[in-house]
Amino acid sequence: MTDRKRTSSSMRFGAGMSRRTVLRGVAAAAGLAAGSKAITGFPAVIAAEPVTLRYLGTAVNQSADIARKVKEDLGIVIEYVPVTTDDVTKRIITQPNSFDLVDSEYFSLKKLLPSGNLQGMSAKRIKHFDKITPVFTKGEIAGKKIGDQGTAPKKVFYLAGATSTKFSPTPTEWITLIPTVYNADTLGIRPDLIKRPITSWKELLNPEFKGKAAILDIPSIGIMDAAMVVEATGQYKYADKGNMTKKEIDLTMKILTDAKKAGQFRAFWKDFNESVNLMASGETVIQSMWSPAVTKVRSQGVACVFQPLQEGYRAWAAGFGVPKTLKGKKLDATYDFINWFMSGWAGAYLNRQGYYAAVLETAKANMEPYEWAYWMEGKPAQKDIKAPDGTVLEKAGTVRDGGSYEARMGGVACWNAVMDENDYMVRKWNEFIAA
Amino acid sequence: MGSEAGVSPASSLVEERGVASSAARLPRAAAAYLLVAPFALVLLLFFVLPIALTLVVSFWSYNEYSITPSFTLENYAGVFEGCVSRLPELCTTFKTYLSTAKFCVSVWALTLLIGFIVSYFLAFHVRSPAVQIALFLVCTIPFWTSNVIRMISWIPLLGRNGVVNQTLTAMRATGEPIEWLLYSDFAVVLAFVHLFITFMIVPIFNSMMRIDRRLLEAARDAGASGWQTLCNVVVPLCKPGIAIGSIFVVTIVMGDFVTIGVMGGQQIASVGKVIQVETSYLQFPIAAANAVILLAVVLMVIWGLTRLVDIRKEL
Amino acid sequence: MKEGRPASFYWLAIVFALFVLFLYGPTITILALSFQGPEGGLTLPMNGMSSFWFAKLWAGVGVIDIWSAFARSMKLGLAVMVLTVILCVPAGLAYRMRFRGSTALFYVTIASLIVPSIVVSLGIGFEFRLIDEAVKGLAEAWDIDWLAESYTTAMGLFTSALGAHLSWTLPFGLLIMFAVFNRFDRRYEEAARDLGATSWQTFRHVVLPMILPSVIGIGLFGFTLSWDEIARTSQAIGDRNTLPLELQGLTTTVTTPEIYALGTVTTAISLAVVMLALAAISLLRRRQARHGSDAGKGLV
Repeated sequence: MTDRKRTSSSMRFGAGMSRRTVLRGVAAAAGLAAGSKAITGFPAVIAAEPVTLRYLGTAVNQSADIARKVKEDLGIVIEYVPVTTDDVTKRIITQPNSFDLVDSEYFSLKKLLPSGNLQGMSAKRIKHFDKITPVFTKGEIAGKKIGDQGTAPKKVFYLAGATSTKFSPTPTEWITLIPTVYNADTLGIRPDLIKRPITSWKELLNPEFKGKAAILDIPSIGIMDAAMVVEATGQYKYADKGNMTKKEIDLTMKILTDAKKAGQFRAFWKDFNESVNLMASGETVIQSMWSPAVTKVRSQGVACVFQPLQEGYRAWAAGFGVPKTLKGKKLDATYDFINWFMSGWAGAYLNRQGYYAAVLETAKANMEPYEWAYWMEGKPAQKDIKAPDGTVLEKAGTVRDGGSYEARMGGVACWNAVMDENDYMVRKWNEFIAA
Repeated sequence: MGSEAGVSPASSLVEERGVASSAARLPRAAAAYLLVAPFALVLLLFFVLPIALTLVVSFWSYNEYSITPSFTLENYAGVFEGCVSRLPELCTTFKTYLSTAKFCVSVWALTLLIGFIVSYFLAFHVRSPAVQIALFLVCTIPFWTSNVIRMISWIPLLGRNGVVNQTLTAMRATGEPIEWLLYSDFAVVLAFVHLFITFMIVPIFNSMMRIDRRLLEAARDAGASGWQTLCNVVVPLCKPGIAIGSIFVVTIVMGDFVTIGVMGGQQIASVGKVIQVETSYLQFPIAAANAVILLAVVLMVIWGLTRLVDIRKEL
Repeated sequence: MKEGRPASFYWLAIVFALFVLFLYGPTITILALSFQGPEGGLTLPMNGMSSFWFAKLWAGVGVIDIWSAFARSMKLGLAVMVLTVILCVPAGLAYRMRFRGSTALFYVTIASLIVPSIVVSLGIGFEFRLIDEAVKGLAEAWDIDWLAESYTTAMGLFTSALGAHLSWTLPFGLLIMFAVFNRFDRRYEEAARDLGATSWQTFRHVVLPMILPSVIGIGLFGFTLSWDEIARTSQAIGDRNTLPLELQGLTTTVTTPEIYALGTVTTAISLAVVMLALAAISLLRRRQARHGSDAGKGLV
């Protein structure tokens, strides 16, 4: 089946050879573009008849640069549909025909897959599949197992069959989501206002920061942050922070409720923007945060640290999924786009923003050695570190918070999750908000 | 309405004549149905049907992974879980409704008070019609800016290091910045009033402009004080405007979750927020059950309101 | 109203001034913040002073094609505006005639206002999914290949989204019509009819000129409500977002005063629309004044 497809698509390519593809071939031959070097297999769909892909996701991963570059390289037009995190999942359920490609988080899969609205993606058609970081495929890094509490990607990575609605615990050909970006989150702090070292998650609920703390307003994630605090203070040890029993939920929510009643929290934040504003304006001095948000606060001239903590990180991961109804040329184009995405240029682009790419090898080939050393190896920056748009993010000499990739991803304690007792948890969360 | 009949006895006479003459001319009901049919059809397609689907779903059972067609009252039981057994302590649903009701009442009272005063000033104290319209537009223009942007623009004003606190500190009015300006009940009410007062001003102003000025003079000539004129002439004649404005404000506040979320720092309960949290976890049946209950509660409030003032009788 | 101003005038004037200040305070903040320098953030204090963010806005915000979203919202807003007017005015007239089922329809209308928008939106989403599946099922059952192959969804800007918006603007429109016809003097219509005018002539030449300013008001209301709508559109929009949805998607990433610049620009556009409407109304008034009508007493 896949063989047949490949022949037919290369035939199509031969017939539809355009000026652009010739130029691209010349460029690749001259070794000018490091990015296109990585694409050796001919994409099935070439500029002859441009395909438009409707790309649903949060704006965080949607970049105009990526769309521009893929249009140049493959002739595929990417049409972004930016929505909020909540809406990504809802649209997969309610409007499965309104997109061709979705960028969703792994933890949502437990809610999404049973709808049967997504199709499994064939590992055989993913060129760099073997090079995908073992964080996803095996749940390990540099041969070392990493924390797998919660919805770790490896638990929901494989499907039992192409159109199955069941996860497979063992590797199969069918993949739920092809990984795009991932990272490990911790607390962001304002060192200029706190004025002492912070080393543990328990500081989040420390009354010293009354009215100046914040957590994420996504119940299943907020409760995990609280669980990190509970374990840090030694009150309780969870078997799995990402999959609590009813009793554990009660215990955790009680601690959160008490903190809320005591006025510990300034606000809960829901999006990137809010988290940056809370920190930058001094409303909060300690809160759970995302790495690029911390960078953003710093770029506004405000001191902010993404503080590594002794209990470890709460990690998350996102990937590409495809609606079940997608087929034919559009599906081919989607595979082409994903293969392109993993071929290095996009990976380097994401790495430079503080996320991690799924295929590191190709990303590395597209980054300057000093950039790789700063972002991935935890070494002091040899030159100023710049964002993709050219603005200076960090001055030469700084070291990335949390150190190297291995130190950070190796320190993962749990993953964003949807619990088995999700209904109960949501009910308790509403009770907590009403308290 | 009694006062209405007293105001224009001629109109009831006209009404009778109208009915008599039109009976001869055309089947009035048929004309009415023709006129209202497109309106009703759109509401049927894009409101009644979707809500009927929602109602059906609210009786379905669900678990984490799927929504299963069946008939169950579980979702409703879930909404009212512990509401009786835990008395006198309030259950989540009652607490949430109490919190929402609190906002409703305070926002309603404030918008009504401010809206009435502003409309009164515009309608009766500003003499030139040109100035009147200009000032009226001044009141409505901010309303044309995006709600989201209008809401978040309060944040730099009210924050811990915001304009208000900086001013107060500079004036040495307070030593410490005031914390309750933002992410509090106060902030929510402020934003609501700011966002939705237009809905109150427009109908009240409209009602006031229709009051025959001769009535006010008559009242004054009859020896009524300004206050008496206000209470016995202006307010009764503004009732329909007040009722319409109240319906707008009450219904919007009841269903809101965006304003309460942003201005309350996502820490304040509202019925809309509960529904939003549930839908974000794809728990559609219980969200649907909550929506059905909310619908019932607000319809009761509106029913009560129309008992006080039947706006349709005033047409 | 002939003698000097009463003391209450001055008190009320002060209250009114304070109210205007309250109304415009945040707008002015946005205006100020949108003129920050390239270093600016979303919060005070201001960082520098420039029109940098307007230039950036002009170049396009983030990933989205802001001007095509703008065009989509504009088209939808105009369609909603027109439909709101041509559906609500006759409905308002019908309510003056009393008909069976009017109470039920009234409560449905009110309910449409109350039910949280997110629920209506999900309901419409479900409805269209059923339609989609029915179409696909039929296409496959009857072997209509082209349809089965190319059909994706019936959802779109002018189907589900338009309907969702109307379910939001129609109740406002109808209630405003109630306010318009409140104590509307029936004697004018009677006079017209006695002079032999048909129902249409009566409406066209007597009623409509009198309520025209309010009708324009309803149109503007419809446009703004649509222009600004998020919750009701979110699950019913199909594959192309409206401007506010794109903006909401953006607030998850945009942390620059660009969003305030956009606020300033939209306010300016709204202002222009209001001014145009005002000009239209005053033109109408002048024409009516020439024709000796006393229409346009009320203003919505």
